[in-house]
Amino acid sequence: MRKHLLTILALGFVGAMAFAATGPDTYVHMTYGEVDSLDPAQAYDTASGAILENIYETLYTYKGQSITEYEPVLATSYSISDDGKTYTFKLRHDVLFHSGNRMTCRDVEYSIKRLLVTNPGDSAGWFYAESLIGYDGVNAKDYFGGKATQADLDKYWNAIDNAVKCVDDYTVEFHLIKKDPSFFVKLMYTASSVLDSKYAIAHGEWSGTKKDWYDWAGKDLREGFLHNHDAGTGAYKLVKWDGKDVYAERFIGYWDYAHKPQMKNIIIKVVDEQATRIQALKAGDADRITVNDRATLETQIRGMANAKVLESDKWLGAAASAVFFNQKISAKDNPLIGSGKLDGNGIPADFFTDVNVRKAFAYSFDQDAIIKDLYMGKAVPLTMALPPSFLGYDPNIPIYNLDMDKAEEYFKKALGGKLWDTGFTMTIAYNSGNTTRKAVAEILKQNIEALNPKFKINVKAMPWPQFLAAYKNSQLPALVLGWGADYADPDNFIYVYYHSNGYFAKKIGYHNPKMDKLIEEARSITDPKKRAALYSKIGYLAHDDVPVLPLPRPTGWMVLAKNVYTLHAPAGMDVYNNPMRSGSFLWKDIIKK
Amino acid sequence: MTTFIVRRLLQLPIVLLAISLLIFGMMQFLTPEQRAAAFVKTEQQAQHLDQVIRQYNLDKGFWVQYGSWLKEVLHGNLGFSKQSHEPVLTTIAKRLPVSTELALYMFFPTLAFGIWMGTMAAIHRDKLIDHIVRLFAIAGWSLPTFVLAIWLLAVLYGYLHCCGIGRADDKYMVMFAQGTLKTYTGMITVDGLLNGRFDVFLSGLKHLVLPVITYTVVASAQIMRVLRSSMLDVLNSDYVRTARAKGLPERVVNLKHARRNAIIPVVTIAGLMIAFMLEGVFFIEIIFNIPGIGQWSIPSAQNLDFPAVIGVALLTGVSVSLANLAVDILYGMIDPRISFQ
Repeated sequence: MRKHLLTILALGFVGAMAFAATGPDTYVHMTYGEVDSLDPAQAYDTASGAILENIYETLYTYKGQSITEYEPVLATSYSISDDGKTYTFKLRHDVLFHSGNRMTCRDVEYSIKRLLVTNPGDSAGWFYAESLIGYDGVNAKDYFGGKATQADLDKYWNAIDNAVKCVDDYTVEFHLIKKDPSFFVKLMYTASSVLDSKYAIAHGEWSGTKKDWYDWAGKDLREGFLHNHDAGTGAYKLVKWDGKDVYAERFIGYWDYAHKPQMKNIIIKVVDEQATRIQALKAGDADRITVNDRATLETQIRGMANAKVLESDKWLGAAASAVFFNQKISAKDNPLIGSGKLDGNGIPADFFTDVNVRKAFAYSFDQDAIIKDLYMGKAVPLTMALPPSFLGYDPNIPIYNLDMDKAEEYFKKALGGKLWDTGFTMTIAYNSGNTTRKAVAEILKQNIEALNPKFKINVKAMPWPQFLAAYKNSQLPALVLGWGADYADPDNFIYVYYHSNGYFAKKIGYHNPKMDKLIEEARSITDPKKRAALYSKIGYLAHDDVPVLPLPRPTGWMVLAKNVYTLHAPAGMDVYNNPMRSGSFLWKDIIKK
Repeated sequence: MTTFIVRRLLQLPIVLLAISLLIFGMMQFLTPEQRAAAFVKTEQQAQHLDQVIRQYNLDKGFWVQYGSWLKEVLHGNLGFSKQSHEPVLTTIAKRLPVSTELALYMFFPTLAFGIWMGTMAAIHRDKLIDHIVRLFAIAGWSLPTFVLAIWLLAVLYGYLHCCGIGRADDKYMVMFAQGTLKTYTGMITVDGLLNGRFDVFLSGLKHLVLPVITYTVVASAQIMRVLRSSMLDVLNSDYVRTARAKGLPERVVNLKHARRNAIIPVVTIAGLMIAFMLEGVFFIEIIFNIPGIGQWSIPSAQNLDFPAVIGVALLTGVSVSLANLAVDILYGMIDPRISFQ
């Protein structure tokens, strides 16, 4: 008996050894990071975006890998009024939702109004509200803090009601409160996806009327129906999202039936452990895997028999990060600035308001070392805090790089010449596990301490919650922050980084009236050439002012099974990679050869 | 015996209340910003940190927060887990069967193998077989779970393409997602059989091979060591000598007289082992990508996803209490001298 048992076991083992491969019409992407929400009005992260961009659609979208060329999707054409404040879209007539309902203007109206009504604090609603209703981009509940009069609320509701109007069943109008050159591209972000209003209302979402609008203001939509149900028109419909993996299938009633996608089933699997993803690719169970770092890519993936690594020095992503010099450090209970005085044992809270200090730090920063150590040579330095593929990026602006003589010169000039004699002590903190922040802090420490024995920089690791609290309370003297594009317009970066009211600039207390004026001018005109010229000026001014020091961008890569390609790939490439797509390409364009 | 069980079950709510108070108390050492970190993943979202704190009452006092939590719990609502993006109870309902299935398949081989090794080692004390078993036990015990798991993953799965990760082949997972295959219990092998699909059952088994081997190697050592030492004691006792003297076969003496009396400590350990396995074996769930409780609870704790942490703590309280109860009942069945008065 025992002998037989062994034979059976051995046979079972061999049987289980058959080479696994995903089916010819199934696409499996193993990645990390769970989807946050499948409600377009709530989701504001890449993992969710990568699903939403396939099951929902917007009026227009980016064409192939371009971020400056667009194509109509649910619309057929559009026009802008002469004053730049009214956008009119003609809608496609033959679009079915996954429920079978037909799309009309009411659905577009409902979707955008719902975005403005709910606008939860951790969503992307703010940049639509800024264009369409004002109110600082904040939902009614948070704007009034619960102290609103009926008149206030009526006014707020009227603003929403006037923002979107249906001219007829297939014509929609958007009324902006002021000219906004980025409004058109804002409408390509997944938050403005068109929802099936009948289906949503029937399942307990906002009624679409004034009656219950205030109940929905600022609501956490993760507890609503659309959080895990699909009311879209996309080429794929959601089969199931169990809080982790996402299953989707080709939608038979898709309006663009002439272009039937090759993949029938899509599985997006959350596999947090990288080693597991790599082995799954090797075993043929994955068509694409997410690889976190270049070192792993070079040592473990390259040369794998059934996998390919695709990369390009143009794949820089739609993001920019920079070292921030905090000009208004909070001195309250702040161990990071030591004594809080210019006595060698700390730094004063206004340390970085002196441009000489900022320049001295910038010249102490070794960009080449970062590129070499952190990215194994595969990165491109940035001249300004804007992705190079965006309108207005000027590659001719000089870049700060390590120059010990200049660093010394500016340190000697700093704080009225006193800094060089007294010296200083400060702590640069980073959240544990963040290798970029750690490397930046260590490079600054190494170079600055080498200049003068009285200069002391401590590098400290903090867990994320503690780091976030220090960040929120403005305790960090210098730190690395990054911004990912919400929409493909330079204003999305420039305003945030350099305008005194922009999120980052405000946070670090950077204020230059000349800069503000340039930025405001650039966001009020539509002519791309004139805007580009203005952004170049802004770039030069930012170089002189150094409120932040842009960091090099690593070039991107993709790891796919050998037989995976996409349609619309540029010549010489197997796939296209659009930086505004969370998943780089759309599922409907995937082909297996 | 019934009174005993009822009395023990009545203690359970008190234990749970104490656990929740303890964890709530510990949370008070954190600032509202730190607690809000669970809701904020990027600097982009951090711009609305104040709103988040207000929305979730993170700046209120201990009793206000505990009171509102307790009120919700009494209405059967354990709160919303930011980590799993759904209510805590839904997540537990979804993940507990997965961890349970995994636990059951890992538990019995581990127990059987541990008992077999322990018996062999004790009977053949200081012989070659004892040395081999003890060496294996030391190696298994000192080998970190994740190291062994990654080795097995790379060799058996990545290189030999055998077994599999996850819970079943993708084609079956798609069918479960679509509803072509019905989900009854949430355990793949059981649901496979209930759907009348033996192939699904086999696929489920195939995907359990790697976790079971890993766990058996790592955890059976503990059982083996406990059984070996307690059995060595028993083998030297008078009644065993008497049994031998009256001419009973060696096999009966060893297994019936000696092992049955030596097994009490093993029951104690095994009870706790399964109780903790129900909370998910983190490394195994992470490396073999099995969506059980551990894969959710550990990241939740790291990210201070408070409702999830307290939910898992309460679940642990329940399963440890129940396991202890089961162990006590088993004592009585193994050793009739133990009474429940």
